[in-house]
Amino acid sequence: MKKMMIVLTLAALLAFTGQAFAHSPLMSCFDNGDNTVTCEGGFSDGSSAAGVKLHIKDGKDKPVLETRMNEDSEVTFDKPAGSYVVIFDAGEGHTVEVNGADIVE
Amino acid sequence: MKKRFVPILAALCVMAFSSSAFAHFMVFYTPEMIMEKGQDLDMRIAFTHPAEAGHMMDMGGIEEFYVLKAKGEKIVKTDLKNTLKEITWKNPHSSAPAFAAEVPKKVIRSMGDYVFVMKPGYYFEKEEDVYMQQITKLILNVGEMPTIWNEPVGLPCEIVPLIKPYGLWTGNVFKAQVLSDGKPVAGAEVEVEYMSHMPNLKTNTMPAKSSVDYPNGALVTQTIFTDANGYISFGIPKSGWWGFAALGVGPDTEYKGKELGQDAVIWVKAEDMK
Repeated sequence: MKKMMIVLTLAALLAFTGQAFAHSPLMSCFDNGDNTVTCEGGFSDGSSAAGVKLHIKDGKDKPVLETRMNEDSEVTFDKPAGSYVVIFDAGEGHTVEVNGADIVE
Repeated sequence: MKKRFVPILAALCVMAFSSSAFAHFMVFYTPEMIMEKGQDLDMRIAFTHPAEAGHMMDMGGIEEFYVLKAKGEKIVKTDLKNTLKEITWKNPHSSAPAFAAEVPKKVIRSMGDYVFVMKPGYYFEKEEDVYMQQITKLILNVGEMPTIWNEPVGLPCEIVPLIKPYGLWTGNVFKAQVLSDGKPVAGAEVEVEYMSHMPNLKTNTMPAKSSVDYPNGALVTQTIFTDANGYISFGIPKSGWWGFAALGVGPDTEYKGKELGQDAVIWVKAEDMK
């Protein structure tokens, strides 16, 4: 019985892992042209990114902003002065980094 | 007796060929269905016979032209009528008024599906004394994030795909459901044509040379029927653009005192697996 439980747990874990790997995280950012930037997140299976963590770091890897995607799976923030990077953090193996220099109108 | 029979058969064959060669299709085209990032879109809308770069028809203007996009749980509608410009589309032996649309990047900036809807005016088919209106959907995607491609969008009649219309391999089966006023249509006739003459957006023409050598008219326009639940299935034999037109499935059956055929059209694109 115990053995059975272990097998079942393993199977459940495997199934879950499989599902987690079936989608990739996606993020797209735009310069709104008014000194703000909007980043939108999502997953390749179409699921929502509402509540997913979003970090912004400056050129020295120092955190500038830590927030979460809103109910529309997006965040709008003031454009940092100088270089920066935006990190969509949906957990290990599920992050996307976008360099501020690549964020255009 | 036998001799008399031959001309009749020949005439019947010619008639059969002519009618099948006259499949009207609302061409709604832009070069790419999947874009990595949002971009300005160059679109064309022309009423013709895309498998043969055939006779051009005047669609009678455009009543509605808009795009639907998911934002969170909501669906946002953006009217695009102001992006339309009247042009003349020229096929090798025929030309007619058609439309170009330049849709700016700001409208298609975000990731996700974009369901473009085009409801033309009314085309009068003199020979049959009937009006035609083909309500057409074109579904594009930005950033590979799927959102609403498989959802009905509330048109009088529409074809709702069950496989991503922009993400087909050659050989895949395209499956879809035909709806009229939101309800499945059983036994509807659906015509299928391949875009054998790819539109040239610089010259607003279709080239005379076909990419397919058709042995007969039955293969120019293929006909399939919806099942009892309104579903169609069609194996895609070649990469490129395929159009599906569900004939006379719309709720409106009369215009200006004459019979009206309200059709639902959708375009899909297949890629070769290399």
